[in-house]
Amino acid sequence: MLRIGIPRGLLYYQYYPLWSTFFQEMGMEVVTSNPTSKAIMAAGSARMVAETCLPVKVYCGHVIELVGKCDYLFIPAIRSIQKNVYNCSKFLGLPDLIKAVVPKCPPIIDVDIDVSKGKVSLHPSSYEIGRWIKPRPKREKEAAKLAWESHLAYIKAMESEMVSPLEYLSGQKPSLASQGNEHFTVALIGHPYNIYDEFITHRIIHRLNTLGARVVLPEMAGRDLLAAGVVKVVGRPYWTYEDEIVGAGGHYLDADVDGVVAIVSFGCGPDSTMIDVVQRYARRPGARPLLTLTIDEHTGEAGMVTRLEAFLDMVARKARRRSA
Amino acid sequence: MRITIPHIGNMYIAFRSMFNGVGVEMVVPPPTSKKTLSLGVKYSPEFVCLPFKLTLGNFIEALDMGAEVLIQAGGPGLCRYGYYARDQEKILKDLGYSFEMVTTELFESKIVGVANLAKRLSNNAPFTRIASAMRFGMAKIAAMDDIERTVHQVRARELQKGTATRLYREAVQAIDDAQDGRTLKSVTKDYTGRLRAVPMNTEIEPLIVGIMGEFFIVLDPFSNMDVEIELGKLGVEVRRSAYVSHWLKFSLFLNAFGISEKDRIHQAAQPYLKRDVGGDGWESIGEPILHRGEYDGMVHLAPFTCMPEIIAQNIMPTIKDRLPVLTITCDEQMGRSGMLTRLEAFVDLLWKKRTSRQMERAPEGRVFSVGLK
Repeated sequence: MLRIGIPRGLLYYQYYPLWSTFFQEMGMEVVTSNPTSKAIMAAGSARMVAETCLPVKVYCGHVIELVGKCDYLFIPAIRSIQKNVYNCSKFLGLPDLIKAVVPKCPPIIDVDIDVSKGKVSLHPSSYEIGRWIKPRPKREKEAAKLAWESHLAYIKAMESEMVSPLEYLSGQKPSLASQGNEHFTVALIGHPYNIYDEFITHRIIHRLNTLGARVVLPEMAGRDLLAAGVVKVVGRPYWTYEDEIVGAGGHYLDADVDGVVAIVSFGCGPDSTMIDVVQRYARRPGARPLLTLTIDEHTGEAGMVTRLEAFLDMVARKARRRSA
Repeated sequence: MRITIPHIGNMYIAFRSMFNGVGVEMVVPPPTSKKTLSLGVKYSPEFVCLPFKLTLGNFIEALDMGAEVLIQAGGPGLCRYGYYARDQEKILKDLGYSFEMVTTELFESKIVGVANLAKRLSNNAPFTRIASAMRFGMAKIAAMDDIERTVHQVRARELQKGTATRLYREAVQAIDDAQDGRTLKSVTKDYTGRLRAVPMNTEIEPLIVGIMGEFFIVLDPFSNMDVEIELGKLGVEVRRSAYVSHWLKFSLFLNAFGISEKDRIHQAAQPYLKRDVGGDGWESIGEPILHRGEYDGMVHLAPFTCMPEIIAQNIMPTIKDRLPVLTITCDEQMGRSGMLTRLEAFVDLLWKKRTSRQMERAPEGRVFSVGLK
């Protein structure tokens, strides 16, 4: 059986159920790298120009781990998934970037996904992938349909059952849904590949829980509210994943939460301006308190915890005053 | 309505003549300076790229001079430059300025979009007048670019260093002062002639170094710390494919007919980078491959954290059979002497490469003189 490698980084957290279902239905074995570790991060950072942002370095580390363990790598070049809204350069160049920096890199299945150029349905892309796979036990169309269904199930679970992507993907028992005896709620916003990577953000969800906060995530707000958040703060979206920062910020800063924690990675092009827009929005009277944490490969755990504690002390005080 | 446009090199000359031609007053921000930079840095997000900080600084200085309408590039499909206008508008409003921000959306509607924008800003001036003002503005850009090409050749060979640069500054001033097409033509001819007459060392064959990278940094001498002048001082002839006149011609007219000036560069880049990554990343991969055999090396300029150029930088080392490339990352922390040291080392290396190549080809016993002093 052919083995297809899907690195546990970047868009893994959005599309793993979709991709893995598709490839399994096509009769392939799906191989994933282990959760991020110090060794993975170090291997990735060592192969890349220093300025590159942390999530891409981590992704590269995951690819290095998959070398020799799979026959193909699946790294799509996602240019746009909405008309005239484009993705960051690093997603566009990702297949070529990985091919250049990873030694002995397996062949990369690098389909273009560009809605702005008229590739509106999934099928052209799935046929393109199908061309790589021989022999084909099932038609791409059926596989794509099943894959899409599992993607919708994933989105629904996050939205209505309050499952965090991390729990869904690892098959853990949902813990966020059952939480509730805490005194206050904190929204955690940022790109999924940052906030759900337990290594680079030092298990921030768990940490917020132990500090007494109930955590809500961008996915739980649902796509419509996130899109409305973008419109409210900046108007038409510019970046593909703008809803994860600006949308979630716009939504939660006005929502019924006690505070918002934003995670951005240093050197991230889109985030550099998006987080500024969110911070300015947070300065309006009546907006919820916002804490922005910038991460890179040197982020110390202690420094992060100290700031979270200080922020939560402040949030707790505010929450008490409000309920009194 | 007093409008303003942030600086990119000498572009303000063309914009001012365009807007004056249709009866709109343009506030030219003070030349980009350390003060502009520190203003920009102070109010910009921390790790945004240098052009954001500089253009924000220009806007602040122009607003203090009474500008009411700010023009910034925009539109989808760029790198984060397309996001500048949104964030800068919020920053400046938070600082208490009142103004209108206009984005060009140049990439969506080409020449028609620009003309419509001019029409709106000029209180409905007739299109004929707008067309002639635009043509004259573009003629000024073309004139400056022509002179610059000559300057690059002269600078590397002139006996008295600094002559070409001085003449270039005079020429830019004269082009700025020109009020009609005829004056512009005679000014161009005059200065081209004077540049050709500068006493030059005709015996040396200077190194040829290409400049490539992010458009703004390449075209803005303040951001790149006059890298072209400094290379010229080291006796290097500079070539570059990014000229504003060239770019305007294609992005406003020819691209609409499916003609792209960059096809050759993109084809050269194909084996290493299959698709456009926004900004100028694709070109930065293609140029050192395309120009091998023609140039001796290339200097690659990029602002710190520039996404497309980071892609290019990561891929570059794996390209076989390309020109040597020196990457210079520009931001507010950059120091001139650090850059000079690296340029000198790079130029030394290129001379060694050229000499050893000539030695290989030389018949026995013949000694070659090179321009290294």
